[in-house]
Amino acid sequence: MRILVVEDDADLNRQLVTAMTEAGYAVDTAYDGEEGHFMGDTEPYDAVVLDLGLPTLDGLSVLENWRRDGRTMPVLILTARDRWSDKVAGIDAGADDYVAKPFHMEEVLARVRALVRRAAGHASNEITCGTVRLDLRAGRVTVDGTPIKLTSHEYRLLSYLMHHQGKVISRTELTEHLYEQDFDRDSNTVEVFVGRLRKKIGSDMIETIRGLGYRLGEAVDG
Amino acid sequence: MTAEPQAESPANAPVRQRSLAGRLVLVAAVWSTLALVIAGFILVGLYRAAGERAFDSQLEVHLNTILAEMVAPDTTGGATPGVQRPENLPEPRFSLPLSGWYWTVRKADSTNILFASPSLVGDPLVLPSIGDKESLSGFAQGPRKEEVRFLQSRITIENISYVIAVAAETAGFREEVSQFARQVGLTLLAFGAGLVGAIFLQVRVGLRPLSRLRSSLSAVRMGDAESIDENLPREIAPLAVELNALILSNREIVERARTHVGNLAHGLKTPLSVIANEARANPGPLADKVGEQAAVMSTQIQHHLERARMAAQRRVIGVSCEVEPVLSRLVRAMDKIYQRRGIALQSSVPGGIRFRGEQQDLEEMSGNLIDNACKWASSQVSVTVRRLQEGGSARSLFEIVVEDDGPGLSEEERKEAVKRGRRLDETVPGTGLGLSIVADLAALYGGRLELERAGIGGLKTRLVLPAL
Repeated sequence: MRILVVEDDADLNRQLVTAMTEAGYAVDTAYDGEEGHFMGDTEPYDAVVLDLGLPTLDGLSVLENWRRDGRTMPVLILTARDRWSDKVAGIDAGADDYVAKPFHMEEVLARVRALVRRAAGHASNEITCGTVRLDLRAGRVTVDGTPIKLTSHEYRLLSYLMHHQGKVISRTELTEHLYEQDFDRDSNTVEVFVGRLRKKIGSDMIETIRGLGYRLGEAVDG
Repeated sequence: MTAEPQAESPANAPVRQRSLAGRLVLVAAVWSTLALVIAGFILVGLYRAAGERAFDSQLEVHLNTILAEMVAPDTTGGATPGVQRPENLPEPRFSLPLSGWYWTVRKADSTNILFASPSLVGDPLVLPSIGDKESLSGFAQGPRKEEVRFLQSRITIENISYVIAVAAETAGFREEVSQFARQVGLTLLAFGAGLVGAIFLQVRVGLRPLSRLRSSLSAVRMGDAESIDENLPREIAPLAVELNALILSNREIVERARTHVGNLAHGLKTPLSVIANEARANPGPLADKVGEQAAVMSTQIQHHLERARMAAQRRVIGVSCEVEPVLSRLVRAMDKIYQRRGIALQSSVPGGIRFRGEQQDLEEMSGNLIDNACKWASSQVSVTVRRLQEGGSARSLFEIVVEDDGPGLSEEERKEAVKRGRRLDETVPGTGLGLSIVADLAALYGGRLELERAGIGGLKTRLVLPAL
């Protein structure tokens, strides 16, 4: 799962990135509106945390531009302007949720988790596939009720596959949603992570579809 | 629309100024009454003078007739040579006893009457002495004590000087003058009344633009209009322009104040987020203290910002907004936010209701209520807007009723909830000022917030606000 954080305040940006990374997301970051807009426009994100008061291009315009260009990723807006007119303007511009400043980091994490989950069509914070159970809130994975330890990349890979279980996911798509933008991808190929994950959750859980990619669980339409 | 009652004590109550129309009518009425009275006196005076002149010339005709009759060229010698008693005078009243018409002839150097009209029947006709003048006219008393006008003239026949006096009763003449005065008085009175009426009408029509200005201003104050109609006569059009400028600058000041408040909020909230999150990330006694104080600051900032915003937006004149679009936008936004929790949000908002106040405030109040309901509801929330007609009062009101099927509140809790800064459950995020802010804002607009138990189980909030 890959998240974009657009926030001009350096401290807050760092805090958000740290919290998101700890929660198991690959996090990209931008400090102004234009940079944020460019990144959201060119990279596939599973969710965006967008501050409304940004230099160079305000958050509302960034959001409107994305939506006009057909970018549909869920967007959580952060705003100090917590009047309903501001919140409604944000929602009308295409935001999926908002958090008013000052906020607790847990609040932002919960909202982002809910947005990602909802975008993938899951109603609960626990996603299961066969004997594998993913608790999104705690970031824990159990197999047959036994907790297993995963590295952050393994967790991201499993989380992405669990969110989109039953669908064939290409290597490119996995790569895009697993790594931060400036990560050296050559040394960490998807195949290596899939291999390690298979050892931990059972080799029959992830199926390799030759020439197309990977699939977790039973095939579904679409 | 009712007049504002003056709350001041009688001691320092302003002296009530007479109305402009009253002043104009009063001055015009006093002046025209005075002018008409003077005109009346002058007219009657002229009429009387003309009448007297006519009377005098009539007397002179009689005097000349008497003189003509008196002169007898064939009689000579005696005390009055060439003079005889005048007879056959054309005026019969000289012969009727005490008719009011008299004449006498005497020698100038004697007071003894030579001849006298039969009408005198022996009584004397007492007149002022002619002295050295050739003729004298004036008023005197007749034998019946009636007022008479006389004409005396000195003439000389055969070197003897005579004084001929003719007098006639003035009663008829006096009657004629006073009748004329009455007619003039009545005519002028009618004329004066007409004049005052015309002035009144003129003032009314002339001042009508002022009352138009007043009702236009009142429409702005009531929120029925954005600005004053500037299509007014040249004299007061600048006033309307100035008033419009004042209204505009009032709006701008409020807008600026609000912008400043928003900027302040933005400026403070981001660092507060940083401080609080930093503290939470590094547990310890210092972090606890910092976190706790950051929370206090956050609540304080929120509280005072809300109050500042309220103070800024109070008494903005001439604002109103349509309820339906505001509520629809809010409901649409809430629907999007809360669909993840599976809340069914139903709304019934009829068009055509206008809130008498700021759109932002309406958004704030109804937004807080709906948000609150959505946070607590287990599956459904309903929003209903209705126009109200409160018994007796002519004030137009409307209500926004928000109901949820959540756990609701006990009677105690309902009372607590509208108190300042009270948050009943710390686990549901919020500033804790929601319902009390709504109650305070509603009170500013002369409305109210009521909390009840909802028919569908949870809390029912009823917000009553003024409508146009």
